[in-house]
Amino acid sequence: MTIVTPTDLDRPALSTAQPEDFFQLLKPRVMSVVVFTAATGLVMAPGSMNPLVAAIAILCIAVGAGAAGALNMALEGETDALMRRTRGRPVAAGRVRKNDAMAYGVILSLFSVMLLGMNTNWFAAGLLALTIVYYAGFYTLLLKRRTPQNIVIGGAAGAFPPVIGWAAATGDAPWQAWLLFLIIFLWTPPHSWALALYSAGDYAKAGIPMMPVARGAKSTRLQILIYSLVFIASAVAPALVGMGGLIYAVVSVAGGLGFLGLAWRLYRSRAGDEPDKADTVGREAALYDVKAQAKPARDLFAFSILYLVALFSAFLVEAVAGLGA
Amino acid sequence: MRLSPEELRARKRRNVWIAAALVAFIVLVFTTTVLRLQQNQAAERALLQEATGAPR
Repeated sequence: MTIVTPTDLDRPALSTAQPEDFFQLLKPRVMSVVVFTAATGLVMAPGSMNPLVAAIAILCIAVGAGAAGALNMALEGETDALMRRTRGRPVAAGRVRKNDAMAYGVILSLFSVMLLGMNTNWFAAGLLALTIVYYAGFYTLLLKRRTPQNIVIGGAAGAFPPVIGWAAATGDAPWQAWLLFLIIFLWTPPHSWALALYSAGDYAKAGIPMMPVARGAKSTRLQILIYSLVFIASAVAPALVGMGGLIYAVVSVAGGLGFLGLAWRLYRSRAGDEPDKADTVGREAALYDVKAQAKPARDLFAFSILYLVALFSAFLVEAVAGLGA
Repeated sequence: MRLSPEELRARKRRNVWIAAALVAFIVLVFTTTVLRLQQNQAAERALLQEATGAPR
């Protein structure tokens, strides 16, 4: 028999959160993409930069992005708990308290912005602060639950890192940096909606008006196709305006054709038409474990990641090797 | 107030990581300060040389 003393009952529950939980709050997978795109912007910018200054700048951008992720998880804990894809997150699963995650996000935001400003310039630091506020405040609190265009507008937050990287190197953000922004910005809708097509049940349950929930799968597939065309045009544009060299031209055109082919196949498919019955059949569906019917959506989602990485790798390789046009 | 062994372990691990993060932050601020001083000195030297017309 366990004897519970009044002191034990009265005392507030103390956290048993582990450091790993706090690392997960930073959304490490998103952070790795941020590091990659920010480094590309920084390396592509004209002029030279002390490698140590560059490394600290990229660290600051990564931590700033992670802080925005922590604030997002703090604010979205209850919603995250309703969705299979997100219910294992530290706040949703109850391993980290909401207020702790919030304080962690705020402190990391302040430190990362301050250190980036001291290390490089305050324009870059201002852009980082804007990105954090945009993602955690504007997207998470305002947009996400109000409009099916949430990820179209909110996608800007994920598109900022190469501009911040460029600004950290030069102190300004010319059109070339904004072209990098545009590529990621236009990449986000087809990428996110492809995922949403086979997670629509989750989003509906959580009350988030993602496009397949608000407008249906057919409309989403059409919009994915349209956005894919515009995105591919923006991805090929650097090769046409002299920002990318031969490697970039080959990668952007070949990958763009592959992307378009998958978007067309998705448009012609019935992906997302069937309701998500994973819960009703009483099995724990694995992440991205989709029915064969949704395979075109899964394929486009996976290829979109590959294509974006290939585009920025091409930029990076050309910039490092001095092969850019 | 008596902490359970699990709470104690978790708190200790968190404290170690907070300490490591603080040390890393101090190192980063110190490094940044030194780098900025170097950059400012180099810029000042270049300005002086330009003003006096001395060879670089």
